[in-house]
Amino acid sequence: MRIYNRYLLFLVLASCLIDVILAFTRQIDIAVYFTVLVIAYLIITVLFVYFSPKTRKALSLVSIVFLAGFMVVVVLKIMEVMRLK
Amino acid sequence: MTNNPYRIFGIGLMLAGAIFAPVAYFLINSIPLTSIALSLVMVGFTGIILATSRPQISPEAAQLLLETGMENIAALLEELGLSNKAVYLPSSMRIGNAQALIPLSGDIDIGRIKDKIPRRLIVRWGDNPGDMAIAVTAPGGTGLNKLEIKPGPTSSEIEQAVAYVLTGLLDLADSIEVRFNDKQVNIEVTGPELHYENVWYYRCLGSPIASIVASIASDGIGKPVRIAEENYRKGKSIIRLEVLS
Repeated sequence: MRIYNRYLLFLVLASCLIDVILAFTRQIDIAVYFTVLVIAYLIITVLFVYFSPKTRKALSLVSIVFLAGFMVVVVLKIMEVMRLK
Repeated sequence: MTNNPYRIFGIGLMLAGAIFAPVAYFLINSIPLTSIALSLVMVGFTGIILATSRPQISPEAAQLLLETGMENIAALLEELGLSNKAVYLPSSMRIGNAQALIPLSGDIDIGRIKDKIPRRLIVRWGDNPGDMAIAVTAPGGTGLNKLEIKPGPTSSEIEQAVAYVLTGLLDLADSIEVRFNDKQVNIEVTGPELHYENVWYYRCLGSPIASIVASIASDGIGKPVRIAEENYRKGKSIIRLEVLS
C-alpha cells in the first residue's frame, strides 16, 4: 500500500475511533472532540517519518492550520472561565 | 489538475463534511455527528494538501522514462556481451554520482583499485591493460542523491536510509529490514512494487530496488558491494549483497 494511502487510512481510523469513544462517554462539548482530533492528527503525522521533505512541508502547513484552530478553542475556553469568575 | 485521486478524495470529503456539519449541529442537534463531519473536513483538507505535494509527472511518464533508460543500458550490455554482475562503489572510490562498474572481462579485484573511478562510461580500474570496465549510473545512484544525510555503517542506519528512499520518497515498498555482518548484507523488502525479472539488465545490475539498496548500503558501509542474490516470495523481495574488500 502506498505511504499516502496508509497515512490517510490511519487518519480515518483514528478519527472514527475517537468519535465513537467520545460519543460512548457521552461527551457533548464539540471543542473536546476537535482538540482530541487535532492531537491524534499531530501524533499520526509525526509517526510518518519517511515522508519526503516536500510532503512534510505541506503537512506542516496543515498542522499549523489545525493548531491555530486548537489555540482558538483554548482561548475561548479561557475566556469562558474568566467570565464565570 | 483535478485527476489527482487525493485531490478528488479531499474535495469530496471536505464538501461532505462542510454540508453535513451545520445539518448535524443545528438540525439534528447531535455533537457526535457534528464531530464526524469535522473529521471529514480535517481528513479532506489533508488529502487536498497531500495532492499538492505529489510530483507533477504522472506515474505512466515516470515508468516510460525508467524503461527507456533501462532499455538503453540493456542494449549496451547485450551489444558488448557483458554478463558479469555489477559492483556498486561507495562515494570514497568514485568521482561524481554513484556508479555501478561492470567489468569488460573477468572479475574486478577490489584490492587493485588505487584511484577514484572517474565519471566516464569506459573506465580503467587497475594497472593491467585488461582492467577495464563500463561505469553506468544505475537507479540506485540517483536514489542516493535524494538522501539528506549520508547513512552510517550499522544495520539500523542503512535500514533507515533505505526505508526513507524506498518507502518515503519513491513509494516502491511498504517496509524494509536490514541485517548486516562483515561479509554480507541481507535485506528484506516487504511489498515491493518492482520485481526481479530474469532479463539481461537485471542479471547485471539487479532490479531497480536491489540497485537502490546496493548503492545506499555501499555508501553506508564504505565498501563496494555486489548483488549476490535476489528472490521474490510471499510478497517480499529478499536481496543478499556481498561486501567486497
